[in-house]
Amino acid sequence: MTEAVKPEDEAKLEEFMARIERGEKIEATDWMPDEYRRILLKFIQMHGVSEIMGAYPEKEWVPKAPTLRRKLGLMSKVQDEVGHGQLLLRVAEELGAPLGVTRESLITDIFHGRTKFHNVFHMESPTWADAGVIGWLVDGAAIIAQTALLDTSYAPYGRVLKRICAEESFHMQHGESIILALAEGTKEQRQMLQDAVNRWWESLYFFFGPPTISRSAELMMKYRIREKTNEQLRQKFLSRYVPRVHSLGLTLPDKNLHYDEATQTWSYTQPDWERWGRMVRENSGPKSQERIALRRQAHEGQRWVREAMVDSPHRAAV
Amino acid sequence: MRLQEAEGLYHPYEVFVQYDHLQHHQHVGSVLAPSPEVALLMARENLLRRERAVNVWVVRKDQIHATDYGDDDFFAQEFDRSYRRVDGYSADNARKWKQFKQRALELEDMLGD
Repeated sequence: MTEAVKPEDEAKLEEFMARIERGEKIEATDWMPDEYRRILLKFIQMHGVSEIMGAYPEKEWVPKAPTLRRKLGLMSKVQDEVGHGQLLLRVAEELGAPLGVTRESLITDIFHGRTKFHNVFHMESPTWADAGVIGWLVDGAAIIAQTALLDTSYAPYGRVLKRICAEESFHMQHGESIILALAEGTKEQRQMLQDAVNRWWESLYFFFGPPTISRSAELMMKYRIREKTNEQLRQKFLSRYVPRVHSLGLTLPDKNLHYDEATQTWSYTQPDWERWGRMVRENSGPKSQERIALRRQAHEGQRWVREAMVDSPHRAAV
Repeated sequence: MRLQEAEGLYHPYEVFVQYDHLQHHQHVGSVLAPSPEVALLMARENLLRRERAVNVWVVRKDQIHATDYGDDDFFAQEFDRSYRRVDGYSADNARKWKQFKQRALELEDMLGD
């Protein structure tokens, strides 16, 4: 049920939609319909939180990285992801301020189950090859999803995305460097890489979201927040990465996967949408609860630091 | 002190980076921080992990005076301002120089000399 719209808001809404249709960009201080604000907020929060939760599968490999250079590379990647999370949460808190949203609420929503993060970050990364495949394929998928947002109607989001995409290209190279070393390695290393690709492949199908156009996807397009569909992005991913996986002499665990010349699209086995969707909604993946608990521990354990940093003149006596 | 209070004392700071001495500071984003000192550190960690710079400014967002995005009149250019611009003259000059079997000079030519 939508609330009754006041007549003056109706005129504003009409002008807003005209601006969107002319391809104009919206700034944080501009008037915007509540629906636009809420849908963007939810999306940017999920993006920011996914960046932060995305650091976890990889940070598990920092202490176990095979060389010092690999350790430094991985640490800087983990730091980038958390940094991206901070930039995005800045955009979200400004957008959400009229709704009472704060940095605190954006973060605590993670462990109160009030926001979601990408399916891939609920999964295990049991081998060093997983650390590589995350950079190669998960970041590759993320870049495809994020570059599709660069022309978004919400300017503060677009500006931050430009910076994020530049750094993601480092992540992609970094991941490729790891997997190429394994691909050129021993039989065991190649097997480890193949196993990691097998483990991640279905989750990468799900990553882009269902092929059906949901109500929120429809709104995202109407407001020109994002103009490509989930399926278009997934097809782009497959076109880029399937040939590369094969050229390394690796196989993909989907016997239905092939390029259909007639329709110019990739056919593939649909992932179990219901099972993956439930995992993300309920945070019931193999690593969801463990990583959420770590996030809560970091947030609550460092509370005293955040408080102690406040300028002393503002600090009340304890 | 309760966290709620601390949160209220964290403020957005806009970040301006000067990448080298022959460039002005550029606005590159913002951070949320409890003091200007911490804002500078946050700016470095969030926005200068790779690029080199010579100076950073942080300015509390509520200290910035700005125009209104809705105020188009402020930026209105009622007149044709081609008389102020290179392209108000260059095409015509180039055509005439051609008659004198010369190519019109541009700033790039001077810089290249």
